[in-house]
Amino acid sequence: MRKEIGMFMALGVMCALLAISNEDFYGTSNVINTTRQVAMLGTFAIGVSFVIITGGIDLSIGSIIGLTGVIIARISAPVASSGAAYPIWVGITVAMAVALLIGLGQGLLITSLNLQPFIVTLGGMLLIRGISHTVTGGGNISLGDIPFRGFGDGGFFGDRVPYPLVMFVVVALAATYLLHFTVFGRYVYAIGGNREAAAYSGVPVKRVETLTYVISAGLAGLAGVAYAAYIGQMSQQVGEMYELLAIASAVLGGCSLRGGEGTVVGVFIGASILRVIENGINMFKITYTDAAGAPQEWRLSDTWKNVIIGGVILGAVILDQVTHILRDRRRRRRVGQ
Amino acid sequence: MSSGAARLLVMRGITKRFPGVLAVDRASLELDRGEVLALVGENGAGKSTLMKILGGILDPDEGEILIDGEPVEIPDVATAKSRGIALIHQELMLAPNLDVAGNIFLGAEHRVWGPLQRLDRASMNDAARELLERIGLDIHPRTPLRQLTTGQMQMVEIAKALALDARIIVMDEPTSSLTVAESERLFEIIEGLRRDGIAVIYISHRMDEILRIADRITVMRDGKRVADLDARATNHDEIVSAMVGREFSAWFPERRHDIGAVVLEARDLVVPGAAEGVSFDLRRGEILGLAGLVGAGRTELLRVLFGVDEALGGTILVDGQHVEIRRPSDAIARGIYLAPEDRKLHGLVLPLTVAQNISLPDIGNYEPRWTLQRGRERQVATQQVGKLGIKTPSIAQRVVNLSGGNQQKVVLAKWLAMEPKVLMLDEPTRGIDVGAKAEIYRHMAELAATGIAIIMVSSEMEEIIGMSDRVVVMHERRITGIVRRAELSEERIMSLMTGKERAA
Repeated sequence: MRKEIGMFMALGVMCALLAISNEDFYGTSNVINTTRQVAMLGTFAIGVSFVIITGGIDLSIGSIIGLTGVIIARISAPVASSGAAYPIWVGITVAMAVALLIGLGQGLLITSLNLQPFIVTLGGMLLIRGISHTVTGGGNISLGDIPFRGFGDGGFFGDRVPYPLVMFVVVALAATYLLHFTVFGRYVYAIGGNREAAAYSGVPVKRVETLTYVISAGLAGLAGVAYAAYIGQMSQQVGEMYELLAIASAVLGGCSLRGGEGTVVGVFIGASILRVIENGINMFKITYTDAAGAPQEWRLSDTWKNVIIGGVILGAVILDQVTHILRDRRRRRRVGQ
Repeated sequence: MSSGAARLLVMRGITKRFPGVLAVDRASLELDRGEVLALVGENGAGKSTLMKILGGILDPDEGEILIDGEPVEIPDVATAKSRGIALIHQELMLAPNLDVAGNIFLGAEHRVWGPLQRLDRASMNDAARELLERIGLDIHPRTPLRQLTTGQMQMVEIAKALALDARIIVMDEPTSSLTVAESERLFEIIEGLRRDGIAVIYISHRMDEILRIADRITVMRDGKRVADLDARATNHDEIVSAMVGREFSAWFPERRHDIGAVVLEARDLVVPGAAEGVSFDLRRGEILGLAGLVGAGRTELLRVLFGVDEALGGTILVDGQHVEIRRPSDAIARGIYLAPEDRKLHGLVLPLTVAQNISLPDIGNYEPRWTLQRGRERQVATQQVGKLGIKTPSIAQRVVNLSGGNQQKVVLAKWLAMEPKVLMLDEPTRGIDVGAKAEIYRHMAELAATGIAIIMVSSEMEEIIGMSDRVVVMHERRITGIVRRAELSEERIMSLMTGKERAA
């Protein structure tokens, strides 16, 4: 929990600085929007965490998010925007089924053929993205103005509690329960901690691992549904690079890519940090008066976004490793005396 | 020797502390040119730590090292090499993807002069050929390393040491993975090194080898040097009692011998890649020793009985019933459990806690209504920790923080919590300290007395003889004999183990 607390404090400091710099940061619409972004990222980041805790990796989730949206649009969008105008539940059901099957397929390839997760899901990432491209024919499919769109930008209590946030909370609670209160969860940690020892203890390693890929793809599909509703215009580009954002959230939140470590709370904090940084780049400003005495405003250019996110990820792992080394050294010295 | 009486190497008052242990405690060691010094001691006695200090891998906290009478500092491996010290680790440090010459000159590559530092393969191949010839290894320098046998790889390590003009070569258990013929070849090479004036420090547990090739024997216990013996004037018993610090017989607990019906029977088992025609039975309350040299197929046999690997032929009977064991869960369902040789690799999930490790194999039964019964998990763990005397601050401690002996007890605990019928222990006391060893023996005796059948694989002859009711001896893929307790002797097992004798 140490890592999680540290990152939570970092998040707090960041929010405080942004609030001081620009009061719009805690304005209602910005808070609701940022929360929605955190919730959607958090949903599929939790999915990939299951895989990461077993020591695997899933690079295909960004493409799955894109594909679910494209499938929903193709099936349920009005005929005018090259959809098939079936009811929305048909689109969602088909899209979710496809997502789960992709997860199952990749999981089975990895476990039964003993292929490396990186390669299998890299192949999956490209292949699925390509399918989206084919389905959209390179253009856009607009969902039009169907009521489903409200799931993306609406919410309870006069839109103050975005629907995706409710979805995220349900997913997070279920994931926490699964990871910490069930045998399945224990197996996930045991496999990540030592796959061999788990096998020697009779743990059904392959079945559990396969299931984590299904969970990862399933939650990506769920997030894909939310994104489809939110964006409305489906092109093959939706969800590009999202797998990396999800992995970064997991790592910032305390998951180790070696496996065996990580919590749902941590992933939530990691996702929040990433989204607050993105939002903060738009929000952050310094006001001053120039030599002529006129009030001026300095803002960060949007081009700095990836530089800052990359820097934060590197900084966090460096800090973590350095504290590790220092703690070890201190412990050693204490024993020496 | 112009510097008169100055010895090649003197290590004096060396001390090294690790978190929680004093690994080396004011230890000393001397070595002359052309001398073969055997360094012996129980696991954890500090031999390897002392050698790592000599090789520049670890820094000593106290003490001094003199080479040719001059005090020297050895802060890193490069310095050790430049002073002519070469370490050959038990786990060979070679790159299987490079060829033999590439391995011999790894880190000391010959280069063509120029800004690009291009590799001078021709020069390396020539030099490698000479070195290989010198140690009498008939392979081409361009052979990929992965095509060699373990014995040949060991020779490549020696060639690598010679390439650095080593004057001191440390060999850590060099024969542990060699065949008898390969070991013989190694002894010849050591003899050749001795003639060339190169000193060898030879770490081994095998008394016969030590008495045969060493000039002197330095015995370590609890990080100290406890004896320095002339190899020609000592014997097996003297060395062993110096190693363990007491008479040997006191080590092993009294046994009750109520041996019951057959619980497990193997008939003509074929173990993939390791053994065939394996037939034996195991009875209630019996401790069955499984002896043999490394590579005889013992661990592989246990893996088949536990379902990690599948047998290619033959049958397994439990309580007289024919059973199929295809995966560990099949064995576990029948009360057949394995505490594997490599605890950290196969036995424990190190980042999980003591309680979580203990419950792991049985955890499927801890979830009657969708939720893990953590209270029950804690209760079972607390009970086992108490029974086995596992020293841990709490059951919520991660096992990675426990000592070797206590880790081994956690492995035992996870199976004892499930009422074993057959308990298979692969090298149960490897790498654990003397006190914990005696405790493990006591627990084994108690378990057998309650009717549990135990199979124990061990490479320590004393352990095999001290604990077993019967001993199955394997040599090169076959059982060469099954010896009853009354007929047990070191000579008898040794001759079955090395294939000199074959029981009907």
